[in-house]
Amino acid sequence: MTEARLNAIKVRVLAEATVFIALTIVLKDVLPPIYHMPQGGSVTIAGLVPLIWFALRRGVKYGVFAGFVYGLIHAFLPGAYIMHPVQGLLDYPLAFAALGLAGAFKKPAVVGVAVGIIGRFLCSFAAGIIFFTSFSIDGVVGSATYNGVYLIPEFIITAVVIYILLKRKLLTIYM
Amino acid sequence: MSVFDGLKFRKVSSPIHNLDPRVKFIYVCAIFVAAILFGEILPLTALLLMQIPFVVLAGVQREWLRSLRGAAFLAAIIFFTNFLFSFVTAGYVVLASNVEWAASMTLRFVVLVESFSVFFLTTSPDHLGLALELTRVPYEFAFAFTTAVRFVPVLAEEAQTIMDAQKARGLELEKGNFMKRIRNYIPVLIPLIVSAIRRSLELAEAMESRAWGATKKRTNLYTLRLRRGDFALLALAIGVLAASICVRLYVYVPTLSQLLQGWL
Repeated sequence: MTEARLNAIKVRVLAEATVFIALTIVLKDVLPPIYHMPQGGSVTIAGLVPLIWFALRRGVKYGVFAGFVYGLIHAFLPGAYIMHPVQGLLDYPLAFAALGLAGAFKKPAVVGVAVGIIGRFLCSFAAGIIFFTSFSIDGVVGSATYNGVYLIPEFIITAVVIYILLKRKLLTIYM
Repeated sequence: MSVFDGLKFRKVSSPIHNLDPRVKFIYVCAIFVAAILFGEILPLTALLLMQIPFVVLAGVQREWLRSLRGAAFLAAIIFFTNFLFSFVTAGYVVLASNVEWAASMTLRFVVLVESFSVFFLTTSPDHLGLALELTRVPYEFAFAFTTAVRFVPVLAEEAQTIMDAQKARGLELEKGNFMKRIRNYIPVLIPLIVSAIRRSLELAEAMESRAWGATKKRTNLYTLRLRRGDFALLALAIGVLAASICVRLYVYVPTLSQLLQGWL
């Protein structure tokens, strides 16, 4: 392939990533969520679907990229809590970048969704331990329950929606 | 439009907004280190009060108070767990020093959250994009960051239009149990995803027609330059850091209850 053609493909993927990051912001932050956690974290109307859908479509590398950038933007929106640089990094850019790991397991896609969300859980879990222990509270239990409460429903929603989108063959349109 | 209420990307100009985001970030980190160094209530109060001139200069008092209110719930949790823990370890007696310890832990949380929220409240995404570019982050990151932010209002409006259209056809979005609700959102999500991907094709065409990625080295019309205010803030950040390290090492910081006992 010529260099110009390679650049064209790169631009296409980058444009897609940008638009899907914006779509995630709309679904997750602009439209009202189903349930709101008192401190960040919420169960939304399929808020994670665009990022995971993009990761499944374009692979791990671009999925991680899109998640990372979304996490950076998310840290800017009201309702984000940063009180420790490491916690901030783990909770926002890295947690959403972990969603991109979904792209490594395309078949069956449910495994991909599970891997992505478990990755996000691990990042948020580690961030939670730092968060709670710096105020001398037992970190492990607090963080696990706190993050589990919203990520389990989030996983169910995302898996169902991704399954339906796959059945309608929406993963490969306009490739 | 009501759905945009949560979005706070406004173009504001104030002495604080115009500061270099990199310097502001260094300042926030200095405050962070200082807050971690101290567990006593007096220096933490001083750190919290230091932020108020900032907030007033930037004119973001309302947003700042709102973020304080948002943090109140977690602050209460931190206060009660700390208090309960020290209450049990002290042998079920309420000591003034224990209450103070719990209060200072809570104050530490508030200081940390507020210093970061001042940074985010007073930095526009454009500025941050520029700063990202200057710190040698690959340009793709900065580009995706600023462009995605620009796209949000467009896509939000489209989502609203699709939802209204489907509602007009009799789709009930607010009814039913958990699973039913998710299924009801499918007729909204599918057109939304398809239209988003069409939009991305247009964006790609626009980028290519402007020769995106044609040259390795990019130049900017506006660049960030350190001005007098930036140096002042940098000096302040270093001052805070140096002062708090000196105090920690060489000065004994009394707690409030000890001070009160001295007076009585």
